[in-house]
Amino acid sequence: MAVADSVVAVVAVINQKEGSPVIKKKPKSVSKALATATCALLGTTAMPVQAQEEPAWEFDTSLLYYSEDDGRVQDVSIALLARRLFADDKILTLGLTVDSLTGATPVGAAPLDVVQTITRPSGNSTFDVAPNTLPLDDTFLDTRYAFNASWQQPLGRLYNGNVGISFSKEYDYVHSGVNAGISRDFNKKNTTVSLGFALSKDDIEPIGGTPMALTPMLDVGDLSNRLGNETKDVVDLLFGVTQVISRNLLVQVNYSYSDSSGYLSDPFKILSVVDPITGDTLPRVPTPGVDGPSHQFLFEGRPDERVKHSLYTQAKYYMSGKVLDISYRYMTDDWDIDSHTVDARLKFPIGNASYIEPHVRFYTQTEANFYRATLSAGEPLPLFASADYRLGNFDALTAGAKYGWKTGSGHDISFRLEYYMQDGDVPSGQLIGNQLQRDMYPGLNAIIFNFSYGFGL
Amino acid sequence: MHLPGNTRFLLTLCLIALFSTAAGAADELEVIDLTAHKGKVVIVDFWASWCVPCRRSFPWLNEMQAKYADQGLVIIGVNEDTSEEEVAGFLADYPARFEIVRDNEGSLATEFGVVAMPSSYIIGRDGKIATRHLGFKTKLMDEYEATIQEILNAAPQVAASR
Amino acid sequence: MSNKKLYSMKLIFCVPALLAISACSSLGVEPWERDVLAKDEMQLVTDPIEAATDDHIYFSKEASSGGRGFGGGGCGCN
Repeated sequence: MAVADSVVAVVAVINQKEGSPVIKKKPKSVSKALATATCALLGTTAMPVQAQEEPAWEFDTSLLYYSEDDGRVQDVSIALLARRLFADDKILTLGLTVDSLTGATPVGAAPLDVVQTITRPSGNSTFDVAPNTLPLDDTFLDTRYAFNASWQQPLGRLYNGNVGISFSKEYDYVHSGVNAGISRDFNKKNTTVSLGFALSKDDIEPIGGTPMALTPMLDVGDLSNRLGNETKDVVDLLFGVTQVISRNLLVQVNYSYSDSSGYLSDPFKILSVVDPITGDTLPRVPTPGVDGPSHQFLFEGRPDERVKHSLYTQAKYYMSGKVLDISYRYMTDDWDIDSHTVDARLKFPIGNASYIEPHVRFYTQTEANFYRATLSAGEPLPLFASADYRLGNFDALTAGAKYGWKTGSGHDISFRLEYYMQDGDVPSGQLIGNQLQRDMYPGLNAIIFNFSYGFGL
Repeated sequence: MHLPGNTRFLLTLCLIALFSTAAGAADELEVIDLTAHKGKVVIVDFWASWCVPCRRSFPWLNEMQAKYADQGLVIIGVNEDTSEEEVAGFLADYPARFEIVRDNEGSLATEFGVVAMPSSYIIGRDGKIATRHLGFKTKLMDEYEATIQEILNAAPQVAASR
Repeated sequence: MSNKKLYSMKLIFCVPALLAISACSSLGVEPWERDVLAKDEMQLVTDPIEAATDDHIYFSKEASSGGRGFGGGGCGCN
């Protein structure tokens, strides 16, 4: 391309303040700069004026199938997200999700070499656990409805604000929340600082009432250690900085603070009381003529407060058509749980309209300071204890890929298939006697399958 | 070339058009000189195909160009895309009834000190930049139009001298 | 969690964050160079439903949740 020769342009420059321009003369050779400017007298043809309108509504739909093996939890979920775009970058977002859960979940009791009988959470009947299998409660049927709405709009040229509400209901749990946030741009919008907060109030209404912490599981129909409903309040705060590093690289760093208070236990989880030498769960003498647990179990109890701190950082990097999305999150809390999460996705375009995006996620956490695989008879009862594997010491891996394309009419379709596995163990100091030969910590293997369809109107 | 210091301020956009066919055949050089628009009010609007508010601004710019052309309004859209395909795609959906120039190395944007996309610089009949607008908000369209009318009707401030 | 750990965590984050606004004034691109950043696939959250779905799965199966924020990136228009 030929470089324009000695053309000198006088450029008038106004100062930054609008409405009071100060004109400075700046003689300058812009020949090099103008060299590649292309002038095209386009748009002077007499075409019909009706320009294609931006879609006013954008819809995203999703169908999720989540399934753990060994008869564990299965979830089928349908989600709908609708976004209404208004003039001047105002957006209304509405979301609705319906989850249908079936299957069984570990109750927290330890496996044993004999049959165990456990009272169901409702207190209405019992179920049996085969020898040398992980005790699972299969009355875990539930349908959950969740709804959220939010409004987002610019406030002036440099600020953007958002407010929202969230609500969800399942038969024993109701959540309601509000959230709001504000962000401000700096450095010609290369830097954005964000502040957000969310408040939520949850109502826990387990069937049969909330069990008193660390009290024994009783016979069918005996609800003497059950209380009424409970509540849980959560306050979340977020402070974030997003920074454009280069034309192809964007980075975000967020600090989050979360304070939960109220009833934080799982009303359905128990711990086995074991012999301090053999490690075997102690049998229990049931009341004559009444069904009840065959062995000794205590309902779990967690602290009534939890403060979490998280540091999250994410980068998006564009490399000639491919996009790398990589993030790291560190979480630490006052239950002594520390976790690290590394998540990476790489989107490869295929032709003009499709893409494939492999995904891998590593997760590791240390156990809560009140995590106990079992409780030993005769030891002083701890203040808090839980055998819930989700508070335990484990690593998790997600691996999979998403394949998607844009249809001729501009609709987005994608399929995602991932494998999620957890593998953990009981801290060695906690295992006693025969427990050392048993598989005391439940692993998890699950398939995640997700179909999504998005379109605009 | 050198312009004497006391010459009136004149904004000259010298644009060199480089047309090359797909087969990379003969090049044509075309120089467009804004001195042709002397005495007119010129709006220099910086836009790009990836800029969402630009889709809303184009129909309005078309309207302004048509409405005030006979009063001496000239609109020049300076495009900042680096890909011609993207520009053509945008213009197919949002046609422009005003002059479009390419600035794919951003040198003109740098010269003007563009701090937001889109940006409109309105140059008065005297060749000075009268005002600029950052961004495009549909709720301010009437205000933008009022400013244009004001500048179209303003008496020239500086007498021509050589 | 110990106070010392909390303090050093706050320091590790707050100091860079405060510096970010001033020091980062040298980082970034010009407003007209945001073609790549404006692409859908370059947004911090490209698929809100997928992000919400995953957040819900991992919230149900693990002890950590959240972390993501909002704001920034994109075309930077208006």
